[in-house]
Amino acid sequence: MPKFDSSPETKRSLPILMNAYLDGELDVAISWDLQRQIEADPELAKQTSNLIALKKVLKDKVLPETISSDFHSRIRASIGASQRRPDRRPTWQALAASVLVAVLAASGGTWIALQADTKTIDVADAHMRSLVAAKPFDVASSERHVVLPWFAGKLPYAPKVADLSASGFPLVGARVDVIDTNPVSALVYNRRLHVINLFARPIATAYDTSIQQRTVKGYNVVSWREDGNEYWAISDLNAAELKSFTELFRTASGPVDPR
Amino acid sequence: MRNGNETDRFASVVEPHLTDALTLARWLTGDRSDAEDVVQEACLRAFKAIGNFAGGSSRAWVLTIVRNTAFTWLAKNRKFKLVALDELSDDERELLEATSGTNNVVVPTPEDVLISRADLASLNAAIADLSEEFREVLVLRDLQGLDYREISEITGAPLGTVMSRLTRARQRLIRKLTVQEEK
Repeated sequence: MPKFDSSPETKRSLPILMNAYLDGELDVAISWDLQRQIEADPELAKQTSNLIALKKVLKDKVLPETISSDFHSRIRASIGASQRRPDRRPTWQALAASVLVAVLAASGGTWIALQADTKTIDVADAHMRSLVAAKPFDVASSERHVVLPWFAGKLPYAPKVADLSASGFPLVGARVDVIDTNPVSALVYNRRLHVINLFARPIATAYDTSIQQRTVKGYNVVSWREDGNEYWAISDLNAAELKSFTELFRTASGPVDPR
Repeated sequence: MRNGNETDRFASVVEPHLTDALTLARWLTGDRSDAEDVVQEACLRAFKAIGNFAGGSSRAWVLTIVRNTAFTWLAKNRKFKLVALDELSDDERELLEATSGTNNVVVPTPEDVLISRADLASLNAAIADLSEEFREVLVLRDLQGLDYREISEITGAPLGTVMSRLTRARQRLIRKLTVQEEK
């Protein structure tokens, strides 16, 4: 087990180890030693707190680029993909949505915060609860065939579970939460450093709806109904990426484990 | 009408990462419209090579292509000088020594407050001011959330190099943000 002495070798490697520690890249044994070392040394503690502040401010303030539809079409055109996919020709809903987007973009690029109903506020509260908990999930796994049986003992139905890590949205775990006094499945996904909660529950009204986007308490929320279930995805992730997350989830395969 | 499979693969392997691709290219080139050119060219390369994608992280695969395209593009379109990065400047050496915590003057300023108050303009300027090798690891880790192994894979730098570059990049940013605020 390494000890952190005052040798020149340690002096050189300590800052690097501190960074790796804060990035969650060290194994628990070294992390434990390093944590003791940081607590014992006020200067190290100060450096650590500076690094934490830096990581947070970068994550919160420096946002990713946004892809315009023009640029997307340009890419599609350049690889010759634009002639294909007649199935993707916009429906009137999509056209209406894009008109809305264009209007919003013209009016300053902000999403209109729709009037939040109490259920969506519940969703936002559940999301915040999960963020202040030690971990946002009760079972940590990116495997559908681990998550699905785990739900089986806790919910009277099998929620749809999909791992989207290949598309940059790794599934990190799951839990059961309560929304509007009903138990719901909560799948927890990551996008870069952002946490996405995806809640689902069965509903009696069996019609599907297209997705609705809104902002509640500063979080982006996307909700829809599909196959007898009601879904909410919520995150501090930007609206466009959250929307593409829900699209990926919707096109991923259903609840049945293929094995 | 041709290449149906490849176009579909492109849509599922590459297109989900366009935001990440553009963000990385933007930070490497320093300019949005240059970044769009780079991403477009990278997409073409990715499309041609889509048959070689063997599974695994499509995100790391796409970002590797974007990164290499960006550096080729920079070499062609700009005169930029390579800095010997593994040579520490005096400033950095001083800072590294300070970090080790021995006989060090205690700074009374609560620096982390200054850092958290940094505005977007000074953050952008501080990141843009980093040398390319430092900037790419910082962007990949702190803005895009990739882990060390993926960053090593994308940049082709050994893990230890990734770790020390990231450490130094963050030290520079901290110094820059706290010094700026004191003025």
